[in-house]
Amino acid sequence: MRVFSFLLKAWAFIRRDFLIETSYRSAFILQFTGTFVSVAIFFFLSGMIRGIAPNMKGVEGGEYFPFILVGIAFYHYLTVALTSFASRVRNEQLTGTLEAMLVTPTRTPTLILASSLWDFVFTSFRVVLYLVIGVGFSRLAGRPFVIHGGGIIPSMIIFGLTILAFCGIGIIVASAVIYLKKGESINSFVISASALLGGVFYPTETMPAWLGSLSSFLPITYALRGIRRALLSGATFGELIPEVRVLCLFVAFLVPLGLIVFRWALRGARRDGTLVQY
Amino acid sequence: MGGADQRGANQVDAIEIRDLRKVFNKRRSIRDLILHPRTKPEPVVALDGISFDVHQGEIFGLLGPNGAGKTTLLKVLSCLVSQTSGSARVQGNDITNAEHRVKSSVGLVTSDERSFYWRLTGRENLHFFAALYNVPRAEIRRRCQGLLEKVELLKHADQLFMEYSTGTKQRLAIARALLHDPPVLFMDEPTRSLDPSAAKHLREFVVTTLNRKEGKTILLATHNLPEAESLCSRLAILHLARVRRLGAMEEVRSWGDTGERYVIDVAGIAPARLLSSGEDRFVFPGCRFEIKAPEDGSAPDRSILNADLETGGAALTELLRRLIAGGGTIVSCSRREASLQEVFDLVAAEGGGSAPGAQTAR
Repeated sequence: MRVFSFLLKAWAFIRRDFLIETSYRSAFILQFTGTFVSVAIFFFLSGMIRGIAPNMKGVEGGEYFPFILVGIAFYHYLTVALTSFASRVRNEQLTGTLEAMLVTPTRTPTLILASSLWDFVFTSFRVVLYLVIGVGFSRLAGRPFVIHGGGIIPSMIIFGLTILAFCGIGIIVASAVIYLKKGESINSFVISASALLGGVFYPTETMPAWLGSLSSFLPITYALRGIRRALLSGATFGELIPEVRVLCLFVAFLVPLGLIVFRWALRGARRDGTLVQY
Repeated sequence: MGGADQRGANQVDAIEIRDLRKVFNKRRSIRDLILHPRTKPEPVVALDGISFDVHQGEIFGLLGPNGAGKTTLLKVLSCLVSQTSGSARVQGNDITNAEHRVKSSVGLVTSDERSFYWRLTGRENLHFFAALYNVPRAEIRRRCQGLLEKVELLKHADQLFMEYSTGTKQRLAIARALLHDPPVLFMDEPTRSLDPSAAKHLREFVVTTLNRKEGKTILLATHNLPEAESLCSRLAILHLARVRRLGAMEEVRSWGDTGERYVIDVAGIAPARLLSSGEDRFVFPGCRFEIKAPEDGSAPDRSILNADLETGGAALTELLRRLIAGGGTIVSCSRREASLQEVFDLVAAEGGGSAPGAQTAR
């Protein structure tokens, strides 16, 4: 019954956000155009370093274009997991609709979770589009790359764990927004650190050792390494156990921490009367 | 006037508030936090020992100037802000440990236009909030249609919210508060931004449909005194975080009386003459009055006196005798009740203290 109630609410939020997003027609269409352009940029860029990539350690499959394509596509997802909760809370605070939602009998964690679902749905479309356009480009150019079908399920497991770990951080940032009304700076820091150290644009092996060692503290490093190995090199689930193990540790630490901090922030905001202030 | 008091012998009150207190800590600047890290933040008392009951099916007014604590009280009762101490129950449910049940039994109507999604239609907004109010999926469409009809919004249902007039927005806010058919409604200055005609229409709807027909209990926070007088059967006046007056409308008005009030219409004496000779000829101990000309200004030698007398009888006779001796003719003389405005002014003038004879709020 609870699950059904949650699904009903989740659908209401997705429908609401779809209607609002599509009411800005030009912006909605331009977002898809942007995806096409960025894939094109990375395609031509990868052509420039085509001869170097196969010799670089950590470039799964030996081609830079599929490497960067998978990196960018899933980086988008992780960014959403990180920022969506906080930005939705902030947005509802600013538009004044948060109070109207909080007086309903729907629990606050459900509201926060459900309100960010559209971002995940929309990003899923963008990720699929990224991959489809990428495959199309590579075929047109006569440089098709292979995605290993056997790697899809292991990569989805890794992906799920990574999303959970990032949601833990995202909930902590949302808590900061609820209590302090600011939290974007934490997001910017984690996103930049992930882009710099997590191996989104280049393998972590190309960084100096001292900088590369920092990447081991970020879940995205293990996520991208695991997903690329599964999809581009056809690694089996057994071969991905090291990455899965570390991601499980991140999840076990970050998700409970996020929930504890969130409860604390909510209680504090209610006590201070700042729950709906901005 | 509303107030279909449907309280039965064993029925709990719709709202029970006991010694409710809310203290906020004043926000400190970063400079202050760095320079005086050990100094405790300054407390700001928003609610101080608030206690009263609202009976089932009545319209109860919560009056007070800006900053009196009305909105804070509604937020505490809606579980948006937690109290520092004390307790409150809504439909028998404790606001501290039965939040879900409290929210299920309450609908909140504010005058904040920003609480809707402006790029959705009125109907789409209602559908969204219906899901949050746990309205069964199969019923959402029918329920929203019924409510749009009830608040006379069917014609505008599929228009974007941003195209609505203020009155239309307010009617949609009422429809939203009724989505889960709550027995209790909290209304926070619902007519604040409405024109007189829309405000009148809304007041009629509140009394006739919501209160009398559907038996909703309504807690109305307002500083619009005529509105409170026309709607509420009982009220509490809040000032500086405390309840200063509490009771039925007549009782509250009577606390404004420090004696007897008369309106005397005198012909033959112009207001200016009354004023210039007031101290010597017409005012005596135990008598004070305000003088004004008739509103239509037709008779320049006619005055309207609002006289406050410590006692009637002899004092009234003496005042009338002096007016007649001064060349005046008494056109009419009638006794009047203190207006809510006068009680309100008295409460505001009292500041932190209690007026003599005031009932201690429970």
